[in-house]
Amino acid sequence: MTDLQLWLSAVEMGCFFGMLALAYYLIHVGAGFFNFAIGPYAMMGGLCTSWLVITYDLGVWPAAAAAVAVTVVLAAVTELGVVRPVQRRSGGGELPALVAVAAVLFAIQQLAGYVFGYPTLPGQSLATFDPVTVGEVTVQPSSLLMIVVALLSFALSAVWIRSTRTGRLLRAVGDSNRAAALLGLPVNRIRLIAFVLAGLVAALAGILFAPKAGVNSLSGLAWSLSGFLAVVVGGTGSVWAPLFGGMLLGLVEVFLPYYFGGQAHVYGMLFIALLFFAFKPQGLFVRTVRA
Amino acid sequence: MAEEILLVGRGLTKRYGGVTALSEVDFQLRAGEVLGLVGPNGAGKTTLVDLISGAQAATAGELTLRGSKLGGSASRRARAGLGRTFQYPQLALELDVRANLLLGRAARRHATLWQMITGAFVGALRPRVAADEAAVRAIANELGISDLDREAGDLSLGEQRLVEVGRALGQDPLVLLLDEPFAGSDARGVAGIAEVIHTVRRRGHAVILVDHNVDLVARLVDRIMLLDRGRVVFDGDPRECLASPQMQSVYFGSEADDDDAGDGSPRAEVQDVRS
Amino acid sequence: MTTQTIQPAAATAGWDIRRVPGIGGLALGGIAAVLILLWVGSDGYKQTLVTSAATYALIALGMYVPYLMAGSLSMAYSAYAGIGGYAVGLVSSKTGLPLAVAWLVGPIVAALLAVLLGLVTRRLSGFFLAAVTLLFGMAFTAFLIDAEALSGGSGGLGNLRPLNLFGWTPSHYQVVLGSAVIVCVIAFLLDRLRLSPWGVIVRTMRDAPRAVEAAGVRVPVLNLVALALGAAIAAVGGGLFTYSAGSITPDTFTLNIVFLAIFMPLIGGAGTPWGAVAGAVIAVELTLNFPAIQTSGTLLLALGVLAIMLVAPRGVVGYADKLRTRTWALLRKEPDRG
Repeated sequence: MTDLQLWLSAVEMGCFFGMLALAYYLIHVGAGFFNFAIGPYAMMGGLCTSWLVITYDLGVWPAAAAAVAVTVVLAAVTELGVVRPVQRRSGGGELPALVAVAAVLFAIQQLAGYVFGYPTLPGQSLATFDPVTVGEVTVQPSSLLMIVVALLSFALSAVWIRSTRTGRLLRAVGDSNRAAALLGLPVNRIRLIAFVLAGLVAALAGILFAPKAGVNSLSGLAWSLSGFLAVVVGGTGSVWAPLFGGMLLGLVEVFLPYYFGGQAHVYGMLFIALLFFAFKPQGLFVRTVRA
Repeated sequence: MAEEILLVGRGLTKRYGGVTALSEVDFQLRAGEVLGLVGPNGAGKTTLVDLISGAQAATAGELTLRGSKLGGSASRRARAGLGRTFQYPQLALELDVRANLLLGRAARRHATLWQMITGAFVGALRPRVAADEAAVRAIANELGISDLDREAGDLSLGEQRLVEVGRALGQDPLVLLLDEPFAGSDARGVAGIAEVIHTVRRRGHAVILVDHNVDLVARLVDRIMLLDRGRVVFDGDPRECLASPQMQSVYFGSEADDDDAGDGSPRAEVQDVRS
Repeated sequence: MTTQTIQPAAATAGWDIRRVPGIGGLALGGIAAVLILLWVGSDGYKQTLVTSAATYALIALGMYVPYLMAGSLSMAYSAYAGIGGYAVGLVSSKTGLPLAVAWLVGPIVAALLAVLLGLVTRRLSGFFLAAVTLLFGMAFTAFLIDAEALSGGSGGLGNLRPLNLFGWTPSHYQVVLGSAVIVCVIAFLLDRLRLSPWGVIVRTMRDAPRAVEAAGVRVPVLNLVALALGAAIAAVGGGLFTYSAGSITPDTFTLNIVFLAIFMPLIGGAGTPWGAVAGAVIAVELTLNFPAIQTSGTLLLALGVLAIMLVAPRGVVGYADKLRTRTWALLRKEPDRG
């Protein structure tokens, strides 16, 4: 493996974390909290695809479509069935929402383990062309697809938030759910859209990343933490900020183990978390509020 | 009898960015004195209470309590002898009234790290302290709180304020800061709070009373300070204050659209504490 | 004078066991413990279930103090339990000290680590605190695997010496009995602590930290004390489990247990520490002792937690308590009507 190959790996990892962070970002902007179940959504996307392909001999594309549909439904159920009722009863406190989301995370993990089994399944690549060789670097089709889809999802999200009515409402609603409700904005509908989109992005990320190291029912928790860290590091100031945070974490995830040994990335993540949470909890890109 | 000067503030100033919320406020508070702090919304009343209690840091100015400097965190100032209530009641809503009242008395025994650590063990071994319970009952009696078993979250706003006043009283403060204690109170609540003010001044301690309702405040205090846009525009006898030109201009001046000068607050018959 | 001399006597005469704070919970908890121990008997597997339940209960009881009393969700409890466990392993394999020392050292080290982590994360709450403490738990596991010289690496530590308390070595059944007693004692003490002035201050920190600060208590410091107390209790549980299992590895206390420990008080009822104990018993029954649908026990638990959160937020103990009050009210009303 050359250094350039490592860089490519880091970029691919960064795109994956970036997409998870984008899913966090969408829900955070729309609903004002962090949905820790993002990682399990991605796991669901990846694992469900592999399981359908392996168990039922389904084509990769229909399997992926089914997995995305399942994940989107899960995301919608998270909002409609759990978070919304719990928040309504508890008056929007942070702790009840956190515990509710933790319960969802745990439940999805267990559900996936029960339905799909506990062993790690190999990921299924959507792209079937031959690896492309550029100089000394070999680009796997799955890596290329990961990067392209990540950039596309960010671009589409940016356009959506900036140029559509619903997208602009997302931000208005997220600033204060209560104030937006008083203004007569469709808070519930916008929040649901945010959850569905986040589920979609996370499922795609999981499907595209699974070929790299396989996926099992417990992958979700670590992915949740990486995505959360990426969105915190990047900040919620711009749609592209999560991608930046994801890239930074991708570098950490790839290069720390390379230079300092197997577990170094875990310490690195903790270190980054402490550093950012302590000194820059608002992230690198802060949204400037006009007075 | 020489009246001891309890609390002195000099040049208290608070700026948020370019906005000056409070500008160069000086005041003195004697032992046994009740000082009323009035003024329209945004005049800086709550800001002044926050600066005194340490809930916010002052941009400039200094405070002395009984001659020694008063500064640092809110908890340090509380230990030095300040007690306060909040404009929006800060109660443990899931605990009953008894527990909320208990906090004021229990806090002083959990001030140092050592007390916090041993307090956990002492608390597990001896959860009920008879002296505390008696004190809580006495405070509840004084304020006219009858049901100690209700959850604080089930109380009306006025009742919550009453519990807050009781909690602060449990600290036996040298200076009691009451931030709009009457908003939402019924006549009984007003009477209870008036009683507390009476008790504190009888002990030779002092009260700073903040409220919109100038008429009500004027009947309860020895002196009034009128704030307008962060400045003290009147400081003196309550009756003179009501008749003063400053009062006229602040409340009924050119921008006399203010609806605060008596909104909603009850005008219960309260005995003049000075009599 | 006479009244003064009479008063103590009157007080003694008026002492009523029913009025001892927390006695009701202890009575019910004790009865349940006795029933469970009778059910267990000499069955080795069931004995293991009891020590597992006791460990889960102690971890959940440890979390009870900062999480349900002070309102901050720290998730580093796998590390604290691990420290308690490794204290037992290390004292046994690396020192000649009596094994009982481990139960002194482990909780103290765990408490100190909790203070350290609490200092670093003192400005964090909610999601941020949860994420950092989860990462800390992961990093601690990684450290245990890396530090082979100290922790025995991924193989862990085994072949523990038997406990020797002043010449008395408890049998396995006595250890099982002891762990049930420890859980009951700690739950009883926490139940009393909850009602005590200390408990009132800590519980007020959750909703109204400004009020606690304005009353003269430094909230950040008291928070650290609450965290330390919780970590120490979890470490006792870790030590207990390690001793009865006879070994410890980095995988003994996983993040899974931490998640379960968050849910246990919800299942049992967050109103009292006994809810956490009840939740631990139910969790062990579902995850470890559910032969019919063994693999789905945890799923059932997870779905149960969601259902309880939505339908019965007071949990099993809270629900039973409500039922009891209603029944009493009905029984008292009945004669009036008749």
